[in-house]
Amino acid sequence: MGDWLVLLTIALPLLAGATCYVLPRENPVVAKLFGAAVATLSLVLLILTRNQEWSVRWLSRPFVAAFHFGTTDISFWIAALLAVCTACAVLATNLPRQRDFIALLLMLEGTMLGLFLARDLLVFALFWDLMLLPVFFGLIGWGEHRATAWRYFIYNFAGGLALLLATAAFGVLNGSTDVIGTSAHLVGAWVPWIFAGFTVAFLVKTPVWPLHTWMPLTYADTPAPMVAVVSAVQSKAGLYGFIAICMAFMPDYLKAYAGILIVLGVISLLYGAFAALTQTDVKRIVAYSSLSHLGLIVVAIASFNAMALRGAMIYIIAHGLFSAALFLIIGFVEEREETRSLLRLGGIGKANPRLAGALCIAALAALGLPGLAGFAGEIVILTGVFSAGYVWPTILALIPIVLAAAYMLRLLQGVMNGPEREDLPVRRDLSWLEGLALIPLVLALVFVGVNPHALTTFDTAAYSAVATTLGGAR
Amino acid sequence: MTNMVSGADWAALAPLGIVAVTALVVLLVDLAARDHAPRNASIAIGIAGTLVAAFVCARGYGVNYAAFGGAFVQGGFSTVFQEIVLIAVLGSLVLFAAIGKETRVAAGVALMLWSACGAMLMAGAASLMTIFLGLELLSLALYCLCGLSDRPTAREAALKYLILSSTASGFMLYGMALLFGASGSVQLAALVAPALAVSPLYWVGSGLFFVGIAFKLSLVPFHTWAPDVYEGAPLPVTAFMSVATKAGTLAVLARFIYAAVPSTIAEKLLLPIWVIAAISMIAGNVGMLAQHDLKRLIAFSGIAQVGYILTALAGGSALGLRYAIYYLVAYAVMNLGAFAIAATLSGDGEEGSRLANYRGLAKRRPLAAALMSVFLIAMAGLPPTAGFLGKILILSSSVSNGYAWLGGVLIVGTAISLYAYAKIVRAMYARDEHAHPHDAAPAVPLAWASAVICAVVVIVMTFYPLTPSNILPLVR
Repeated sequence: MGDWLVLLTIALPLLAGATCYVLPRENPVVAKLFGAAVATLSLVLLILTRNQEWSVRWLSRPFVAAFHFGTTDISFWIAALLAVCTACAVLATNLPRQRDFIALLLMLEGTMLGLFLARDLLVFALFWDLMLLPVFFGLIGWGEHRATAWRYFIYNFAGGLALLLATAAFGVLNGSTDVIGTSAHLVGAWVPWIFAGFTVAFLVKTPVWPLHTWMPLTYADTPAPMVAVVSAVQSKAGLYGFIAICMAFMPDYLKAYAGILIVLGVISLLYGAFAALTQTDVKRIVAYSSLSHLGLIVVAIASFNAMALRGAMIYIIAHGLFSAALFLIIGFVEEREETRSLLRLGGIGKANPRLAGALCIAALAALGLPGLAGFAGEIVILTGVFSAGYVWPTILALIPIVLAAAYMLRLLQGVMNGPEREDLPVRRDLSWLEGLALIPLVLALVFVGVNPHALTTFDTAAYSAVATTLGGAR
Repeated sequence: MTNMVSGADWAALAPLGIVAVTALVVLLVDLAARDHAPRNASIAIGIAGTLVAAFVCARGYGVNYAAFGGAFVQGGFSTVFQEIVLIAVLGSLVLFAAIGKETRVAAGVALMLWSACGAMLMAGAASLMTIFLGLELLSLALYCLCGLSDRPTAREAALKYLILSSTASGFMLYGMALLFGASGSVQLAALVAPALAVSPLYWVGSGLFFVGIAFKLSLVPFHTWAPDVYEGAPLPVTAFMSVATKAGTLAVLARFIYAAVPSTIAEKLLLPIWVIAAISMIAGNVGMLAQHDLKRLIAFSGIAQVGYILTALAGGSALGLRYAIYYLVAYAVMNLGAFAIAATLSGDGEEGSRLANYRGLAKRRPLAAALMSVFLIAMAGLPPTAGFLGKILILSSSVSNGYAWLGGVLIVGTAISLYAYAKIVRAMYARDEHAHPHDAAPAVPLAWASAVICAVVVIVMTFYPLTPSNILPLVR
């Protein structure tokens, strides 16, 4: 068994999400405060239960599986990021049927906490599929186009099925799926197929070119508070899977196919950056920039180097923070001006200085300004990848960093600066509640920027050698 | 082998007897009452009889007894399948509360109980004769049940089912005759003799037998009757058919696969079944995409789900059989739940199975939409439902038995099916609402209770995956 508080960490947002439906329908502030309180409480629980575990047997046949939860050194930070992002997203929600939407956000948090806290592969697979549902319902309830919900759901579910088959084979081969947080070389004739199954699922989820086609549409269509959480945290599920599963149990195959992964990562990097330059929809700019940034993390993981892995960890958190901030800010802009097109927006900064300031910080973090979180991750990754002997990928990865400055500044300028447009609706600056949604993200960006070591407390020697424990509870 | 029939033999048939007598009681009460028995009386008697039968049946679980000279096996495997049939009866009987003319409810209940008798007989049948007896009892009652309502489609369904199903029975009977010719015995246990491995009669006979079975299970390419018949039949009958006939026939097929095939040729002889299962998983799920009626959708879904269950049987491991049973129970519960929701949506002569009725359901009936979503999610195999765990178990058994390719097909089929299921969920929760205003629904507490219980079971089964261990050997 163990510490039931760990279980409560996951159950709390799920139960609170269900409870939301009894809150008053008309009053949007009550639901907001309730949701934010729940998300904050789950953060407190996470911190309290760090390095603790809860476990109960699920299956004994055909392989051992357990409802086994608890953070590892890696998943702790991602889970904390999730709790922070959810709290901010809830505070930033201003939508019709507010209460129902916040309920979905909380369930999204609960299912993803389940994923990141899972210490059992089968439970991981369970939550992998489960976390699709809140977003699917969010898209059919609040999305703009019919097709988007499909595209999101079917791509990711197909990936989830590959994961499922791989998990079943893993269980049969290994005799137990209660393994996350440990590491052992999986041996057997099917291991290449198991590796392929996991990798496909992770590549779709991240996403990586050419499996990314669901992503720009989904990000553009999903309401801003939800896409903030999806892009900040759900996209990290694949990267977390690479580290906690592929690297931990099939390092030989990860090494053997590192070349392919690095090529795909570099293509994503370049493709995402160039695509971001050409978009006029503000949300799509950030979506494609995400593709580019996540490609960098894939390169970092595939290069199999302790320093690069540390960088990946920092950048996972950094990207989560600034992409959540960017999407939330875009959401505020869209609410005020009723458009997301760079062709129509402009000059908002004059009437909205606080909004402009927040966008400025987030954009600067995204383009890698030293002192903010993005830079810390990028520099460590690039150093690591370079020292691992991948010279050309490092050089190619520098190009998108230059491009990032171009598209981020274009975004900042196009939205906030320039002459005020006459035809845009009346503007008002951030209210205190909306400001409260951005402050934690901005503070965290600065904190990680100046103190990135806090995130890399895991035993990097263990990672580079991939011999002993993979950042399990010590 | 003696010709003496002992009391224990009759005791083995007690659950069937209870069900059959209950049907008679229902009819007699209907006869005695002035101007037909009230709807709820017939249903209540039916449910009471079924519960008693289920209780008696469950007590035989630990008994390992081959009754009537080995023609009917009591206990273990048989008990499990009989209970599944009885669950199907319970889940379908309650639907009569919402559907059908009051004057015909008693007849419907009685016929359904007799049909269930046939399925239960198949569940325990260990000789070719009992198999056929059970199958015909099941089918004969179903032919009448299909034509129970006044709609022209019901007549068409009944006739279609009669003709095609009789043809299938013919195939099966001919196969059985050849099997008898090859082995000189009607006992399934006699069919494992190694000498049969080279007997052409055995090969042809089992081939024809499989064709008959595939017809009854509506596996591709013998599936074309299923959507039309399911659509035409009254809702409770469709619910019953989708679960009980499949359970009975699967019991027969599983017993044959596990106990009546010489081990030396098992892999070769059974390969066509796995191929048919694979085709069914794909074709059934593709067929679902274009449907506009819940009953037709479930007909196609059932084709694919039987394919999943057969995947678990491939390789012939005991664990595989247990997982097949687990999935069959899950399938039964989610189907019955979905039909119960459809019943709560029916009214003024309409059966609430048109998918157009589900548009914007979340707004009109949030609970119905939520429960329906649970069942659809379970059918698609998403967590946290038994459909998810069932698929995991089946996948692991297919991988460890060397049939990973079937597991792969299952994955592809599931991916296809997702669209069809999610389409309904999407329609229920869609904002744009140009739906039928369909709110004058009758209060049907029985159907609601059934739906809620099914939803709870479908979720709880995920966390407590019980599978029966006392199932082998299948013939004694």
